[in-house]
Amino acid sequence: MSSDDQTNTQQDDSSLDVSILKDIAKKVLVDALNSVNGAKTLVLDSSLAGPLGLVTEVALLKHHGVDKMFWLESGPLTSTTTNIIYLCRPSIKYARIIADHIKKHLKDGKKHLYTLLLVPRKSIMVSRVLEEESVLGEVTILPYNLQFIPIADDVISLECDGAFKQLWADGDESIIYDSAQALDTIQRTYGQFPRIIGKGDYAAGLQRLATLLQRQAASAAAPDAGGVSTQGNIDSLIVLDRRVDMITPLLTQLTYEGLIDELVGIKNSHVELPASLLSPPNPPAASNVAGPSTSPPANPTPLAGLKKETKKKHHLATSTDPLYAELRDLNFGNVGKSLNRVARRLDENYKTNLQSKTVAQLREFVGKIGGLQTEHQALRLHTGLSEMLLPLTRTDAFNRSLEIQQNLLASYDVPAQITAIEDLMAQGTDLNTVLRLLCLASITGNGIKAKVLENIKRDLLQTYGYNYLPLLLFLSAPPLAILLPNPLPSFTPAVVSSLKYPFSGLRKSLRLLIDDTPEALDEVENDISFVYSGYAPISIRLVQCVAQKGGVLSNPAEKEKPANQTNDGQGKGLSGKVQAHPIVGWKGFEDVLVTIPGEAVDIALRGSGESSTISPISSLLRGREQATTTVVFFLGGCTYTEIAALRWVGRQNRGRKFLVATTGIISGNSLMESLKPPTSPATPAAAGL
Amino acid sequence: MTDHPTTTWQAMQDGNVFYRRQQLYSVSEKLPKLDDHVIAGCRYSGPLALMRDSSKIIVLGKSNVASKTQIQIFSPAGRPLLTFSWDNGKIIRFGWTHDEQLAILNEDGVYRVYDLQGDYQQFSLGSDAAELGVIDARIHESGMVAMLSNLSLLEVKGWEGGQPLTLASPGISEPPHAWAVIPPDLNISRHVEVLLSAESTILTVDNLETIDQRISRGPFTHVSPSPNGKSLALLTFEGTLWVVSTDFQRSMAEFETRNVVGAEGLVQQVEWCGNDAILVTWDSLAVLVGPFGDTLQYLYSGPTFAVTEPDGVRVISTEVCDLIQKVPASTLSIFRPGSTSPAAILFDAWQSFSLKSPKADESMRSVRPDLSTAVDECIDAAGREFDPAWQRQLLNAAKFGRGFLDFDNPSDFINMGQTLKVLNAVRFYEIGIPLTYAQLFYTSPSHLISRLTTRNLHLLALRISTFLKLKPDVVLKHWASAKILRSRPSASGTGDEAELGGDEEVCKLIVDKFQQLGGADVNYAEIAKRAWEVGRPGLATKLLDHESRASDQVPLLLTMKEDRLALEKAVDSGDTDLVYHVLLHLHKRLQLGDFFRLIEDGGAKLAPASKLLQVYAREQNREMLRDFYYSDDRRVESAVLSLDEATRASDPASVLTSVKAAQKFFSEDKDRTFEAKMMDESHRLLTYQQVLEKETDGKVPFFGLSIIETIRTCLLNGMGKRADKIKGDFKVPDKRFWYVKLHALTAIRDFEGLDAFAKSKRSPIGYEAFVRHLVENGHNKEAIPYVAKCDSPRRADLYVECGEWRLAGKECKDRNDKTKLDELRKKCPNTLIQRELDQIATSMK
Repeated sequence: MSSDDQTNTQQDDSSLDVSILKDIAKKVLVDALNSVNGAKTLVLDSSLAGPLGLVTEVALLKHHGVDKMFWLESGPLTSTTTNIIYLCRPSIKYARIIADHIKKHLKDGKKHLYTLLLVPRKSIMVSRVLEEESVLGEVTILPYNLQFIPIADDVISLECDGAFKQLWADGDESIIYDSAQALDTIQRTYGQFPRIIGKGDYAAGLQRLATLLQRQAASAAAPDAGGVSTQGNIDSLIVLDRRVDMITPLLTQLTYEGLIDELVGIKNSHVELPASLLSPPNPPAASNVAGPSTSPPANPTPLAGLKKETKKKHHLATSTDPLYAELRDLNFGNVGKSLNRVARRLDENYKTNLQSKTVAQLREFVGKIGGLQTEHQALRLHTGLSEMLLPLTRTDAFNRSLEIQQNLLASYDVPAQITAIEDLMAQGTDLNTVLRLLCLASITGNGIKAKVLENIKRDLLQTYGYNYLPLLLFLSAPPLAILLPNPLPSFTPAVVSSLKYPFSGLRKSLRLLIDDTPEALDEVENDISFVYSGYAPISIRLVQCVAQKGGVLSNPAEKEKPANQTNDGQGKGLSGKVQAHPIVGWKGFEDVLVTIPGEAVDIALRGSGESSTISPISSLLRGREQATTTVVFFLGGCTYTEIAALRWVGRQNRGRKFLVATTGIISGNSLMESLKPPTSPATPAAAGL
Repeated sequence: MTDHPTTTWQAMQDGNVFYRRQQLYSVSEKLPKLDDHVIAGCRYSGPLALMRDSSKIIVLGKSNVASKTQIQIFSPAGRPLLTFSWDNGKIIRFGWTHDEQLAILNEDGVYRVYDLQGDYQQFSLGSDAAELGVIDARIHESGMVAMLSNLSLLEVKGWEGGQPLTLASPGISEPPHAWAVIPPDLNISRHVEVLLSAESTILTVDNLETIDQRISRGPFTHVSPSPNGKSLALLTFEGTLWVVSTDFQRSMAEFETRNVVGAEGLVQQVEWCGNDAILVTWDSLAVLVGPFGDTLQYLYSGPTFAVTEPDGVRVISTEVCDLIQKVPASTLSIFRPGSTSPAAILFDAWQSFSLKSPKADESMRSVRPDLSTAVDECIDAAGREFDPAWQRQLLNAAKFGRGFLDFDNPSDFINMGQTLKVLNAVRFYEIGIPLTYAQLFYTSPSHLISRLTTRNLHLLALRISTFLKLKPDVVLKHWASAKILRSRPSASGTGDEAELGGDEEVCKLIVDKFQQLGGADVNYAEIAKRAWEVGRPGLATKLLDHESRASDQVPLLLTMKEDRLALEKAVDSGDTDLVYHVLLHLHKRLQLGDFFRLIEDGGAKLAPASKLLQVYAREQNREMLRDFYYSDDRRVESAVLSLDEATRASDPASVLTSVKAAQKFFSEDKDRTFEAKMMDESHRLLTYQQVLEKETDGKVPFFGLSIIETIRTCLLNGMGKRADKIKGDFKVPDKRFWYVKLHALTAIRDFEGLDAFAKSKRSPIGYEAFVRHLVENGHNKEAIPYVAKCDSPRRADLYVECGEWRLAGKECKDRNDKTKLDELRKKCPNTLIQRELDQIATSMK
C-alpha cells in the first residue's frame, strides 16, 4: 500500500515542463537574428524588453551578431552597421517611427538593410502604414512568433500588457486570435486538449477559434500526429475571460506576491527594489513582523563584499530563490511567521559549524555553505521587502480601503461605504484606489444610486481632472459596464442590463465569503479565500466548479483530518488527498453559471463517440497511473492571488495539476492605469451609451 | 534470369571500391543532337531542357530547326514533355528549380518560371539589371545569382519573385573565367556564396564581403561544387583537375586530365558523381576520377551530357541514359565477389534453399548470430537495385532470413516493398523518372507526388499517395485545377443557362470527388481562384463556399468584389489581421460614404470590424474617424474624440476649442446632460486658469490642472482669495476644500494661517485629520493644539502620536481612564516616561 502511495505521489509531481516554451522562443529569436547576415543593430520596442528578458539574455543576442541595441523611439537613429533589425509589436505608432528613421537615412544617403520582426506575427496594418509612408520596399518584414513565456513552473504568460484594454476598451480582438495560436502551440507541444470549457463571451470566441485552428492543424499535419506519447497529459482547457470576474482584480491582493505587486509593482516578474535591499548590509531587523528573525550570526562582511550589486531590478524567480517559492503564496499575515522559521533553521544550520569537530564534519558543512549563503541572502531580501511593505499596509488609506472592500463584499451598509469612498477621495487618495472601490461598489451592489453616482463622478472629475471623463464613460459602457447607476436610465441599451452581475446570489451559491473572525480563521486557511483574507475569488471558484466540485461547497482540506487510506482511488474524501475527479464540464453548477453574464461553453474536441466511451475508463486508469494537467487560461489577465489560489486547489487533489496560462499578470491598478486617457486616448469605442 | 548485378560494376582503388554504370533507358533517335544545344538537366532524375546553341553552325534545311528560339524539354527516357518558343529577348541562362520548374533568364533581367505544362510566371530583376544588362547567371534549386554587365552580382532567393539583393562587389574588371554558386542551405552561414575564378585565384563573394582565396594555380576553366557543398572541383587551363574543400583549407586530390588516353579536344563538363568522385567528360568519353586519383573510363558514341545527382551522376548520350554511381554499401556487401558478410551468406543460403540444396542449412547456422543485420542489409540492397527480378530475389532472401528470427519488426520489409513498387512504377519509360531509393528519400515522397501532378499524371499520383498513405489533397487540387481548365464552357452559343449548369456540374464533380477520396480538407480557395482566373466567377463562388479557411477565402472574395461577404468572412475568422486586410483594401477602393455604409449596415455582425477601423483610424486617419462618427450620429464618440484631441493639443487655444466641441456634442445628446455640464465646467475652468496665469505673469502654470489642484496651487502661491472664489464658482464641497487647504497650508508651513483657518468655522472634516496630517509631515509640535479639539476618547492616543506621553497620561487622568493609562504604560518607549506615567497612575488612586 505504502509503495503504491509513494509512486502515486511521485507521479503527481510530474507536471508539464514549461521551460520548453522558453527554449522554443529563444530558438526562434536566434533563427530570426541569424537570417540576417553579419553584424546588426537591434532596435527594440520597450514593451517587449521585459518579456524578452525572460526568454533570453543580452549575451545571447551579442553572440548572434547584435552589435548595439536601441529603444524604438522617435528621433534620429544612427547605426554603424548595415543591418538594422526592428523588433516590436505591430502598432501604427512604431510603424511611423520606423518610417521616419528610414526616410531620414535615405535623405542622408545612408544605406541600410532593414528587417522588421513583428511579434507575434506579421500585420497588414503595419505594412499599410509603411506603404503609405512609401518605405515598404526598403523593409523585409518577418514574424517573430513570441508566444507563451514561462514565468514560473506552473504559469505561462503572453506578457501582453494591453490585453484587457484592447479587448474591453477598443474592441480589438487581435489578442484572442494570438491566444488561440499560442494555445495551439501548447497543444502541439504537450498534446491535445480533449475538452475545452469556457465562460464569458470572449472566452467563447476564443474557444471557437481554438477548435477551428485545431481542425486546420489536424488536416495540415497529416499522418505525423506527433503527440502520441504526450497525449493525455492535459485533460482539459478552462478558458475564463476577465469580464466573468471583474471583482477579484478590483480587490487588494493579500498574498505576499500579490501585495508586492499592489504596493511596489511587479513587471514581467521583475520588481524594482532599492539597491540597499539587494545588497547587504541591512539595518538590523527590528519591526514586529520580521522582528524575531534573529539576524544570522555569521559575519556578513565577506558576503557583502561578494554580492555588491548596483542594479535595482530584481527577478523574482523561484529557481534562484527557493525561499520565494515558500513565501509567495502565503497570506501576508503569515509571512512574518514563515520568515522567522527560516531564520531559525538557518541559524541552526550555521550553528552546526560550531559543533563540527572532525574534518569530515567540517567538510560536510563547507559543502552546505553555498546553499546556506543563498538562503541567507534570500532571507535578507525578503525580510527587507516585508519590512518595506509593512508600513505601507499600516497607512490609513490602505486599511480604510480594505475595510470598505470587505464591507462591500458583505453588502454591509452600502451607503456608508460610498460615503467612505467619498472621504477617501476628499483626502486625495490616488485615483486608482478610488475607481477600484467605486467599481466594486457598483458590481456588488448592482449599481450605485443614480443621484449619488452623479455626485461622485462630479467630485471625481473636480479632484482628478476633467480629462478623466472618457474613462468614466468607458467604465459605464458595454462591454465592460462596471460602473452603473441604479436604476439604469431609460436610454441604456439592453446589453447593459444583461451584463449586470448577480453578486449577492453568487455570494451564497459559490460560498464566496468566509468569516474572518478568529474562530473562522482556520477555515480561511483551508480555502482559497486565504488570498483575500476571507473572500474567495469567483474566477477560481468557477475553476473549482469544473475541476474540484467538492471544493466549491465545502472545504476539502477539512476532510483531511480523519485521514484514512482506502485502497479505492475513488473513495472520495477518505484518502489523504482526494483523487481528482474526471472533468465533466460544468455539471452540477449549470444554474449558477446561467446567472453570470457571458456565454458558457463546454466542448469535447475528440470525436464525441470516442470521448464518451473511452474517457470514463481511461480517465480512471489514468487517475491511478498518471497525473493530468488542467490548463486554465485567463483571457485578459489574472492576478497573483488567483495563481496562488489555483496552486492551493492543485495541492488539494491527487492526480491533477494546474497550469495557469494568461495574457498577462494584472492588478487593479495596472488595469485602471491601462484605461487612463494619456496612455489610451479616447476609449469608449462602444456604441450607443 | 537477367544479368547478375555485378556485370555493371567496375573496380577502382585496388578493387576496394566499385562503381557501377546502370543503363536507365535507351534513348537512341529520341533526342536531338546534344552538341548543337545548350542543355540544362534537372537533378533528382528530372527532365532535360534543350535550346539550340546559336554559336554552333548547323546545316540548314534539316527538319526540326526553327528560326525562332525554341526550348524543348525531354524526360530522361527521351520522351518529349514540352516544347515552347521563346520571344522575349536573348536567353542568358536557364536552369531547373527544386520543384522541377524551368527558370529562364534573359539579358534584360526578366525571368520566367515555367512548369511542365508550359504555364509560367514572369518576374524581373529590377531596373538596374534592365539598364545594365545581364551577362551571365547561375541558377540553383532555390534561387539564382545573376551577373550584370558591370560585373556586379544580384541574388534572388526563392522563385516567388523575391526582391533581388546585391551581393558584395567582387572587384574584378573582366568577366571571370568560370564561376559557380553554392546554394544557401549548403553553407554554414546559410547565405549564398559565389565562387569566381579571376586571374589566378578564386574569389568567394557573399552578401557581406569578397574574399580573395589567394590561390595561384588558376585561372580555371571549370568550377564545380559538390552536391553537399563541401568540396570543389577546379580544372585549370593546363588540364589539371584539382579538388579542394570549399574553404580552401584542404587539398583533396589532383589529377592530370591531359594524360587520359583517348581524350580529344576540350573538356566538356566537370560534374560530381555523388560527393566523392568526379566525372570529366570529353566529346565521346567520360572519365570518372575517384578520390585518390584512380580513374574509370566510359566510352560513348557521340556527345554526352552529365547531370550530377546526390548519389551519382546521370550521363545522357545520343544512345543511352546511364546512371553512374558508387555501388551502395549493402549491395556491395552481398554481391561483391568472395564476400563473406552475413548478408552475402544469407543470400547464398536462400539461393541454396531455393535450389533445395542442404547447404542452406549450413549457411543459416553460420549466419545465425548476425541474422538481423543480414536481413536488414538484404532489404536495403533490394532498394538499391534497378532490376525488379533482383529486387524480388533480395526481398525473398530477407523474407527467408526473417523466418529464423524470433522477434522481427516487419515494417522495414513492408515499407521497402511498397517503396519499390512506387519506384518501379515511376521508372517505367512512359513516366520516365528514374528515381533511386536515395533520391526518393532525399526529396521526400510528397515531392514525387507533386512532380507527377505537374506532369498531369493524376491517376498515378493519386494511387501512389493512397498507397503510401499520404493525403490525396495535393493531387486532387491539381486535378481540379486541370479539370476546370479543360472544362471551359464554350464562350458563346450555349447561353447563360447552360453555362450556369456547367458551373454547377463541375463544382459538384469536384466536390464529390474530394469527398469520395477523403480529401475533405483540400484547399478549395486555390481551385476557386483558378476558376476565377479562367473567367468563371460563378464556379469560383460555388467552390469558395466549400472553403473552411477564411484566410484563403477572403482575398479571392475581394478580387471578385464581393466586399460585404469578404468582410463578414474575415470577421467570422477572428483573424484581426485579415479584417484589416479587407478594411484597408475597401477603404482604398470604395467611396468613403459607401465604405461607411457597408460597415454600418453590417450591424452587430460587423461590429468587430467597425471597432478595428476605429482603432486604426484613431492613430492613422483621424479625419476619417471624425467623419465616420459624424455620419453615424455617434455624439458620445465624437465628443470623446474631441477630448482626445484636447489631450494631444499643445496650445491652449486649440484645447479650448476641442473641449468646447466636446461640450457641444454632448449637449446634442439629450441623455448626456451630465457630461455636457462637466465639459462646460471644464471649459470655464480652463478659461479661468488662463486668467490666473496672466495674473501671475505666467510664472505659475495653471492650465490643465484639476479644480482641486488649481485650488492647491492658488493656496501655495498665497492666492487664498482666488481659491475661495474657485470653491464658490465650482461648488467644491466643504470637506474637500478643507482637506486641500489643510494639505496646502501645511506644505508651505503657514501654521498661523492654518490656525486661523481651523478657527474660521467648525471643521467639516473634524480635527483629527489636522493632527494626523501634521504628524505625518513631522510637525508634531504644531499638531498638539488641535488634539484638544478632538473627541475626548481619542485624545490620549493622538497625544501619543504627537509624542506627548505626559499629555496623554494627563488626558487619561482627566477622564479617569485607568485601563487606557495601563495600556500607555505598557507601550511607553523609555523609563523616563514610564516613571512619569507611573506617577500619574499613583496620583489617580
